[in-house]
Amino acid sequence: MTIVDTKMKRGDASDGLLGGRLARIDGPAKITGAADYAMEHSPEGMVYAVIVDSTIASGRVVAIDTSAAEAYPGVLVVLTPDNALPIKTATDWTGAPPPAVPYEPLAREITFAGQHIAAVIAETFEQATAAAALVKVTYEETAPISSFDDPRSGEGYPIDMMTKEWGDADAALAIAPVRIEQEYKTPREYNVPIEPHGLIAHWEGDMLTLWEPSQWIDGMSRTYAEWFSIPFENVRMLSPYIGGGFGSKALPTRYGAVAAIAAKMLDRPVKLAITRPQTFTAFGGRPATRQTIALGATREGKLLSIVHRSANETSMDDVAIEPLGSVTSIMYAVPNFSSRQNIVPVNTVKPGALRAPGENPSAFGIECAIDELAYEVGIDPLDIRLLNYAEEDPHAKKPWSTRRLREAYAAGAEAFGWAKRSPSVRSMREGKQLIGYGVAAGTYPVRRTPGEAMVRILSNGTIEVASSGIDMGQGTYTILAQTAAEAIGVPVETVVVKLGDSSLPRAPVAGGSQLANLMTGAVHVAALAARDELIGLAINDPNSPFRDLQANTLTIEGGQMSSPRDAGSSVAIAEVMRRTGRNSIEALRNTLPENLRNKDDHFRNFTTISTMLSPTEGDYSMHSWCVHFVEVRVDVDFGTVRVSRMVSALDSGRLYNPKLAESQWKGGIIMGIGQALLEEGLVDQRNGHVMNNNLGDYLVPTNADIPHLEVISVGIPDTNASILGGKAVGELAIVGVAPAIANAVYHATGIRVRDLPITLEKLI
Amino acid sequence: MRDFSYLRAGSVDEALSAAAMPATMLLAGGTTLLDLAKCGVNAPERVVDVTHLKGLDTIRVDAEGAFIGALAKMSRVAADPAILAGFPAVSEALWQAASAQIRNMATIGGNLLQRTRCAYFRDPASFPACNKRVPGSGCSAMEGVNRGHAVLGTSDACIATYPGDLAAALVAFDAVVHLGERKVPIDDFFLLPGTTPHKEHAMQPGEMITTITIPASAAARHSTYLKVRDRQSYEFAAASAAVGIEFEADHETIRDIRIGLGGVATKPWRARAVEDALRGKVVEPETVKSASRLAVEGAVAHGGNHYKIELAPRVVERAILKSGALA
Amino acid sequence: MSNQTTINLEINGQAHTLAVEPRVTLLDALRDHLELTGTKKGCDQGQCGACTVHVDGERVLSCLTLAVQVEGRAVTTIEGLSDPGAELHPVQSAFLEHDAFQCGYCTPGQIMSAVSCIREGHAGSDDEIREYMSGNLCRCGAYPHIVEAVREAAKVMS
Ligand SMILES: Cc1cc2nc3c(=O)[nH]c(=O)nc-3n(C[C@H](O)[C@H](O)[C@H](O)COP(=O)(O)OP(=O)(O)OC[C@H]3O[C@@H](n4cnc5c(N)ncnc54)[C@H](O)[C@@H]3O)c2cc1C
Ligand code: SF4
Ligand code: FES
Ligand code: FES
Repeated sequence: MTIVDTKMKRGDASDGLLGGRLARIDGPAKITGAADYAMEHSPEGMVYAVIVDSTIASGRVVAIDTSAAEAYPGVLVVLTPDNALPIKTATDWTGAPPPAVPYEPLAREITFAGQHIAAVIAETFEQATAAAALVKVTYEETAPISSFDDPRSGEGYPIDMMTKEWGDADAALAIAPVRIEQEYKTPREYNVPIEPHGLIAHWEGDMLTLWEPSQWIDGMSRTYAEWFSIPFENVRMLSPYIGGGFGSKALPTRYGAVAAIAAKMLDRPVKLAITRPQTFTAFGGRPATRQTIALGATREGKLLSIVHRSANETSMDDVAIEPLGSVTSIMYAVPNFSSRQNIVPVNTVKPGALRAPGENPSAFGIECAIDELAYEVGIDPLDIRLLNYAEEDPHAKKPWSTRRLREAYAAGAEAFGWAKRSPSVRSMREGKQLIGYGVAAGTYPVRRTPGEAMVRILSNGTIEVASSGIDMGQGTYTILAQTAAEAIGVPVETVVVKLGDSSLPRAPVAGGSQLANLMTGAVHVAALAARDELIGLAINDPNSPFRDLQANTLTIEGGQMSSPRDAGSSVAIAEVMRRTGRNSIEALRNTLPENLRNKDDHFRNFTTISTMLSPTEGDYSMHSWCVHFVEVRVDVDFGTVRVSRMVSALDSGRLYNPKLAESQWKGGIIMGIGQALLEEGLVDQRNGHVMNNNLGDYLVPTNADIPHLEVISVGIPDTNASILGGKAVGELAIVGVAPAIANAVYHATGIRVRDLPITLEKLI
Repeated sequence: MRDFSYLRAGSVDEALSAAAMPATMLLAGGTTLLDLAKCGVNAPERVVDVTHLKGLDTIRVDAEGAFIGALAKMSRVAADPAILAGFPAVSEALWQAASAQIRNMATIGGNLLQRTRCAYFRDPASFPACNKRVPGSGCSAMEGVNRGHAVLGTSDACIATYPGDLAAALVAFDAVVHLGERKVPIDDFFLLPGTTPHKEHAMQPGEMITTITIPASAAARHSTYLKVRDRQSYEFAAASAAVGIEFEADHETIRDIRIGLGGVATKPWRARAVEDALRGKVVEPETVKSASRLAVEGAVAHGGNHYKIELAPRVVERAILKSGALA
Repeated sequence: MSNQTTINLEINGQAHTLAVEPRVTLLDALRDHLELTGTKKGCDQGQCGACTVHVDGERVLSCLTLAVQVEGRAVTTIEGLSDPGAELHPVQSAFLEHDAFQCGYCTPGQIMSAVSCIREGHAGSDDEIREYMSGNLCRCGAYPHIVEAVREAAKVMS
């Protein structure tokens, strides 16, 4: 159990309120090494598992020779498809009922390089690792289709639910005075959180304890329960701290099943740590994408039509959709629109979710295309965006709940000094450095799932907040403490927050940037209920110090209760609790609508995404918005691009803690810089291997790659979007960074790079 | 990683006799050895730790030149004031390599012997074909992902880049590798892959690097190291150049010029053709540009690394102009 | 078990005796054998810096160091940077104040590296800090705040 308390003083008293810049309350644990990440437990008798992966991308396992591995000192068992304990297929995350076939986490049929085939379990990590290298696999290999650049992969097949159309896009394009059409591509990109994946699985009878970094404790617990046909309550998953996920730690994995199977078969706790190279194939990152965008416009730059055709890679055996029309369809006012999307199966692991799946590559396409149009018609890239500003959601035809994008353009342009831009390309230079300015906008939808929280007022006046929701760095611990402190009226130091444990009240996935809004909402509701009960107690209990006042309400401020009738005398909460003899006041509340409060729907709400509301459900279209202004310096001889200056203005609605929100924004921007300039899974087309499957070759930005970043909040509370007025934060800021940089590179060099990343060979 | 036994060498002789044993490797900083052991490329049965040997980490600079003990750490050499004064390119090549942590661990001797970053070489489990690992097994990189591979000094057997930065500077200034008593000029120490890419250097079993010496020169005093890469830091070179220049008394005619290339060749590469074209010439942008093109004479690309043929001369050119301004 | 040797390590000023195979890295010895899990494993290949510790006062990567290699040397980990309950090291305080981390997984390595960066005299300018802190990757993207924290801590430490 992880309890994070706020005893250390950090900042001013006002920082403890919602909207205050309170330092992270989980900070002291993290900076001293005391924070216990999931994989850092060692239950008695723990042994180590190492996975053996396929070295071919397509074909069949003919034989596995485990004899050398089994003979290796310390080896307890070598799991293969032949001897692994059979388990059932589980309900998937959308809630679709499972087929009645066994689930085989170790494969015989191979559809990608890096597929798990066997696992070696030994007394020590070193033994398991060495023995895993001794497992000999014989394959029957067939020629793989390694990527959608392989002509044999074809066009793939259409995903009809991705089609968005209005007006007559083709006809309008055909007669538009100005037409441009280009293809934009993004490569496979990977989450690479610095904490690699893995888990510790421990059976005690038919109780399964899992220490596993997880963005979704309840969803994953449900899967484990169904795999092993045990009640949901028998699974205890602990994930007190998560060393980054960015979308990659939300769903159960094959190796998770392997570890739990091994633990059951051996009746010993098993630790299975995915190696860094395996983090490129044990689960997927963002798929490679391509988009063709045709824009039709007037000579003044007013959009008449957008025709958008796109595709992303998926695996041979499953459907992964990266929604590429998501930004295209809402960013600009356009009377005629058509967007269709295919997916193309190739021999890869099933792609997963990586920060702003869909919006991120979608924005790369449309935000580059609009820039191209601006140069084509000869107007400022910022002006063309204002000219085509969407006053309402052009797709859903609903008003925006809030869209402070115009304010963002203004604030960002001012802070950046956009007016100093010299309009023509290759016109700004300092020595060997070509200088370019670029702008691009981004957006991320507000997703909403009902939440739940427990708030307790303890006899000593401590307030306890509890949820299985998680904190992987977004600041959940901190903002929930602030929420409870404000709602009840206590100093934030008296709030203790417990998270990341399936034995606590339920929470939906920490994905889609929804958790902060739904959790603060639930905690707010629960805290008010606890407060009301406390006040009721103080008014009504015969032993209460307020009994004689005959008050019908009381106020609580700074942890002190007082009556409006007698403001002078105030009594601490702990004193009221003591006098009334109460150990605790508990309020467990959820924000489910009436019709979902039954047991089944309650369970479904937290263990699937089937109740998540789309951003256009209801009267409004709800999204966060941002704009990035970038200055790049491109070495005229070497083609190396450096981002030298950047200002971003963002509308995430109300910020519960600006200090932490700014950190998340900057984190997204930095990941966007990596995406623009460095990140690319390099696939060997002959054999489907991701050749740069490590942190030395799959380059993410270092400290030296990042300049000072300025972020400006232009949001206002949006209570349509969430109970307390916040909109999406975590996934917003990456959206639009790559096109802003590509646009700046064009301005600097006159070279338009339409396939990421913008590496030096594309500029020399 | 395969298990091994660990010995601490008490003396150079002990280290040498241990090194003569089969399946034995000397352990210095360990940043190459352990990395490759984890990849399954190295599988020593015995590891002989030499880091506790006394006296092998001396750094001395006198009128003759620099004398650097094989066990001196990269970070210490980089920061040594006398190295900085007499051989700035050496210092720059060192501090731009790897990371501060690795430079605190890695030794100069180990640094020279670091091995290629060829991804096929580093993954024996997936790619049995690698002539460097298993002579005659083929080369997986030739038609694979080879953006980082060499364009100079390649053979039909291997196109792996020698990745080190330091050696590119050392080769420019005629450093000498001391294997105990035996002294080998650095250009001869490193071997071209030819038909035997598994043989990377001239060291025999039972030998070890004890010292590296770099003769003092005016060119070395006025030298610079320019490293170009995708990422600003913590990455190997896409192309790099160590350049030192000595002018005649007129301050513009080149008397001596030394150019070493990194990141583009199968061994630390001396660009003698460029040197020859510039000796006796005045440093002028056009002269330098056309001479720099000679750096990639005979270069062969294999697809992904084609850009290096364009990039390398530009790096050389810029480095010449920079070092010319220093001299 | 095969081939174990008994080694004596001095970690955070305390003597520890443990039996490990020679191939066990300092990182795994700390995390798996000594329950000092503050030092993180991000790659196990020398490519991320999460495992940074001090050996004889200098920052090194514990994933590319054998435990046996550091017998007789003083090892300091994040747990030994400040005493429990005592005041935080100035670098730790600065990280907290400047929000120089999010998930916190790279953080112990960043902090150990930052302490060295300052001690080495490599915190003279923001650009110097950036370069000398580049051996520690942070996927959450806390870099700008790390630079601020190192800059401020350097002032306190000087
Ligand atoms: C992530 C990462 C990034 C890197 N980036 C760069 C970079 O940008 N530029 C760069 O130049 N380098 C880079 N390196 C390579 C690094 O510089 C080398 O690994 C290091 O210099 C090797 O020195 P060492 O003392 O650790 O060698 P070890 O690993 O101890 O030894 C290497 C080899 O040399 C042998 N050996 C060691 N000393 C001697 C001796 N005295 N005599 C004979 N044999 C000996 C060993 O047996 C072993 O085979 C990087 C390394 C890593 C892991
Ligand atoms: S380039 Fe050389 S090292 Fe790489 S696979 Fe080919 S032979 Fe092996
Ligand atoms: S774990 Fe050591 S550098 Fe990544
Ligand atoms: S704080 Fe998460 S990786 Fe740095």
